[in-house]
Amino acid sequence: MKALALEFFKLRRKWILVMTTLFLGAEMFWAFMSISKSMARNPDSTGWEAIIVTIASMNGLFLPIISAIVVSRICDMEHKGNTWKLLISTDVKRNHIYMAKYVCATTVLLYYIVLQTIAIAVYGIVVGIASPLPPSLMIQFIGGGIVTNFAIVALQQWVSLSIKNQAFALSLGMVGGFMGMTSDLFPVILRRIFIWSYYSGLSPVSYHFTNHSMEYVIQPMGAGALAIVLFMSIIFYFAGSFHVTRQEV
Amino acid sequence: MNTPAILATNHLSKYYNNVCRVNKVNMAVHEGEIYGFLGPNGAGKTTTLKMLLGLTKPTEGSVSIFGKECSKNRQFILSHIGSLIESPSYYGHLTGLENMRVMQKLREIPDKNIQEALHIVRLEKQKHKKVEQYSLGMKQRLGIAMALISFPRLLILDEPTNGLDPAGIGEIRELIKSLPKRYGMTILLSSHLLTEIEQIATSVGIISDGNLLFQGDMEILQARNKASICIKTQDDASAERVLLTYGYMPVHQHGHLHFENMSDLQVAQVNKILVEAGFNVIRIEEHKKSLEDIFLELTGKERSL
Repeated sequence: MKALALEFFKLRRKWILVMTTLFLGAEMFWAFMSISKSMARNPDSTGWEAIIVTIASMNGLFLPIISAIVVSRICDMEHKGNTWKLLISTDVKRNHIYMAKYVCATTVLLYYIVLQTIAIAVYGIVVGIASPLPPSLMIQFIGGGIVTNFAIVALQQWVSLSIKNQAFALSLGMVGGFMGMTSDLFPVILRRIFIWSYYSGLSPVSYHFTNHSMEYVIQPMGAGALAIVLFMSIIFYFAGSFHVTRQEV
Repeated sequence: MNTPAILATNHLSKYYNNVCRVNKVNMAVHEGEIYGFLGPNGAGKTTTLKMLLGLTKPTEGSVSIFGKECSKNRQFILSHIGSLIESPSYYGHLTGLENMRVMQKLREIPDKNIQEALHIVRLEKQKHKKVEQYSLGMKQRLGIAMALISFPRLLILDEPTNGLDPAGIGEIRELIKSLPKRYGMTILLSSHLLTEIEQIATSVGIISDGNLLFQGDMEILQARNKASICIKTQDDASAERVLLTYGYMPVHQHGHLHFENMSDLQVAQVNKILVEAGFNVIRIEEHKKSLEDIFLELTGKERSL
């Protein structure tokens, strides 16, 4: 807890929540514009499902990038001021510092997803969706996002802490964004490997094209996909922690 | 030194890609002393200090601090050590005070330590300024304050006066000298500047090419600093022959007669013998080896030691 409190303390003047909120604003603006146009063209397909599926798909692009930025901001300050050396020459255990950074990054991204959920609810009410907000879909939407963030943050933190030049970590985030956005075009086996594809893969709503029209399908969270993404989170986290905490300074 | 060694290394070695950087160093720092760890750039000082703090893993050997094996008691040992290794570490986007706060939270120590440490390094007035706006000297002072914040039993400072102006160097030197008496600290201080070590340290270790060439009290090193007497006459070769008959053993070199370990009385007697024998004594000089000469001798002729 001491190390975690310290991570949040060190984020002073980094404007990380403001930056995250602005980034979310950009995503939501794009998503809501797109959904509004789609609803105008096809009034029959208005519903919570359309909003969720669009935003889950856009999260595939935006969340890997914002994850890379957030993790990089949290880790880069240790490189810039040579402070990793300072931290590990105190009596705090290295793996506690590593874990504190991980929890700090996932908390910031949790803020992103919660704020996004609120934005979806407000938008749905504003555009007048007749049915009430479906809690089970929203919970699955939040859960899928959080679990996928676990894996992505673990990978990004490993890269950000082990390679000083943050261009590598940010490039990985951008590649991830591309993978996440185009994941539905890949075969299933590749989708299972690319962790960035799980934003849409674990979404509660999917869609199919039938007779030139889009049909929304409710999909329960697959235990297999969930297990894979959790397994990858654990692998990336412990491999990163093992590697970084044993690096010589 | 009669006090026990609170820091001891046993055959401490470090190899990078099969290149030896530190070679079987047996170092002993005693309670309450200021140990000057002296060596030219690239001698292995920082690598040794990093191994003491566990920042780098030794290839061979072991370190014991406060009587405990470092590899097994890391947390306990580090909680009693303050350090400044290489350049100072800081969060540039935070103020000096906030940087101190980070250390205070990490080490779980009282608030008043922050003010005291900042007061010692004279950074109180700049504590609300972001560290990225500090000068190099101010950053160095902050680094020292961060090392001092817990008023540790052992303070390890790697080239602490780097980047300071002459006035700042003098100030930090006086500060370091005062710490063992004021706070009961033991200090391990590395430097490549002989004058710095000479003015601060009570004992010294000289390292060159990874080998610890000398270790002991400063007085022992200074005892090597013996004077020799040089006498110049108009005919040194004849004068040498005369003096040999009186039992003196001068060495004739560089156009002088050199005598080692001579008392003032003996100098007067030699002068008298030469004058009575009809030699014109042109010059009698005392030559003292500087510590610098000793240091260069040690680092340059390590194989003969």
